[in-house]
Amino acid sequence: MTTQAGGCPFHGNAAIIQTTAAPVRGSGGEEPATVSPDAADYPVADWVDVAALATDPYPTYARLRAESPVAWVPQLNKFLVTTYAGCHTVEQDQELFSANVSGATMTRAIGAQPMLRKDDPEHSVDRAPVNPVLRPKSIKEVWGPVFERNAEAYLQKVAELGPEEADLNRDYAAPVASQNLIDLLGLKDVSVEQVRRWSHDFIAGMGNVLDDQSIWDRCDAATAEADRLLEELIPYYRQNPDASMVSAFANSGLPTANVAANVKLTISGGMNEPQHVVTNMVWALSNHGDQREQVLADPALWASVFDEAVRWQSPIGMYPRETTRETVLGGVRIPAGAGVGVVVASANRDAGHFGASAAEFDINRTKRPHLAFGSGVHLCAGHWAAKTSIGQIAVPMAYERFPGLRVDKRRSESWDGWVFRGLTSLPVTWN
Amino acid sequence: MPSVTYTQPNGTQQTLQVESGTTLMRAAVNNGVDGIIGECGGQAMCATCHVYVRPEYAQALPDISDDEDEMLDCATAERTDSSRLACQIQLNAELSEIVVDIPVGQL
Ligand code: FES
Repeated sequence: MTTQAGGCPFHGNAAIIQTTAAPVRGSGGEEPATVSPDAADYPVADWVDVAALATDPYPTYARLRAESPVAWVPQLNKFLVTTYAGCHTVEQDQELFSANVSGATMTRAIGAQPMLRKDDPEHSVDRAPVNPVLRPKSIKEVWGPVFERNAEAYLQKVAELGPEEADLNRDYAAPVASQNLIDLLGLKDVSVEQVRRWSHDFIAGMGNVLDDQSIWDRCDAATAEADRLLEELIPYYRQNPDASMVSAFANSGLPTANVAANVKLTISGGMNEPQHVVTNMVWALSNHGDQREQVLADPALWASVFDEAVRWQSPIGMYPRETTRETVLGGVRIPAGAGVGVVVASANRDAGHFGASAAEFDINRTKRPHLAFGSGVHLCAGHWAAKTSIGQIAVPMAYERFPGLRVDKRRSESWDGWVFRGLTSLPVTWN
Repeated sequence: MPSVTYTQPNGTQQTLQVESGTTLMRAAVNNGVDGIIGECGGQAMCATCHVYVRPEYAQALPDISDDEDEMLDCATAERTDSSRLACQIQLNAELSEIVVDIPVGQL
């Protein structure tokens, strides 16, 4: 172990943190190229059961990795890529595997094309303005105290509910993630509930591959509300710049439409995933008592707990790309214009990369790069923010406040999803 | 073509000939050089492309920007006077040859 350089606000430096924002659930309305399963010269995994994926995707991922790590899945109209090496190759080559996918529901949902659906150089024009807000120094110095205040406020509410009633998702993870996002963006006069609703409605729209009109209606209403707020905020921040993301966007010289699209992207992706990491960390430690004791005795290990939790139960499971020309990936020919699903949740359990214990939660494992935050130019812009706000603040503070914090086995928890996956409720108790 | 030599902590060296304009990070990642991760794709947002530049090449390098400086503080291995982010150094006519040492850890 080498020594840590002096100036970094982070100690331990275990985390490679999270993705800008939400890759789409499912992706494209009208599908890309016609990929005919007849006479296919690529593996076809027509056995994949999408409902089973949402219940527990890991058995499906394990079988895909073993049998056909690059496979056409007709039900999803995509090639799923499930190994670490395959996913990493796709992420490193934006020329061949474009983020600008056909018929993107993400673009439809938020009414304009956000940076996550662009390749460079267009992508970097949108992204560069917020990078300084999200680098470690600004996150720690400017935003750390804000994240602490927010955690404190909702810990108080959890305490009032007590160890018989509290739900860590509903009462802590969700409102803390929402308030942190409101502050970091610099949204004004909006409630935690409102931003949470926008986030859900945008995400539902991004996953609306079946074109359900009621989902579009909710999504359009959220877009209209957010756009109305931004119409006021953008000129406000041009006059009164501060350290927030909307201020950085507003003063970047980007057209208003780009700013609005990227703020809505951030609202979609900046809430759900940090929320899930809070509950995932507590769930994982509850089910691994020895490791919980270890981190409580040595708080420097929180960075490893955070990092291992996002690897082991990645909140973003899959995101789409599209081939710009015919290519061969992992020995499999993929036609031009084909939809590709980069299944990072599966890559993060690949024994070929993490060794035989890949499926286990182990904060002491040898550090290897993982893909929970993506990699390459779309690496989550908020990764330092997540590492700090959740890994070093929200979760450690919860353990300090509630000795013996653990999952309450008397009440039931629930998990859902595979494209985005997390606990939808997590009853907790303490001593 | 410009060339870059990466030295692993165990002393083994690997030299690549690369197109002008390629960064040291991109060349390493595309050629599977161990020990350079380049997680953020070159945006000075991750510090997983930390390298030590041999002193004889130091003066041919571009200055360290504020962003690079801030991220170098967050590199896992010790920062020294020769520390740079490989994604911020391009090979080109001014820098046609360079030798770097790869640190023991990037995570
Ligand atoms: S590749 Fe991320 S800082 Fe160089």
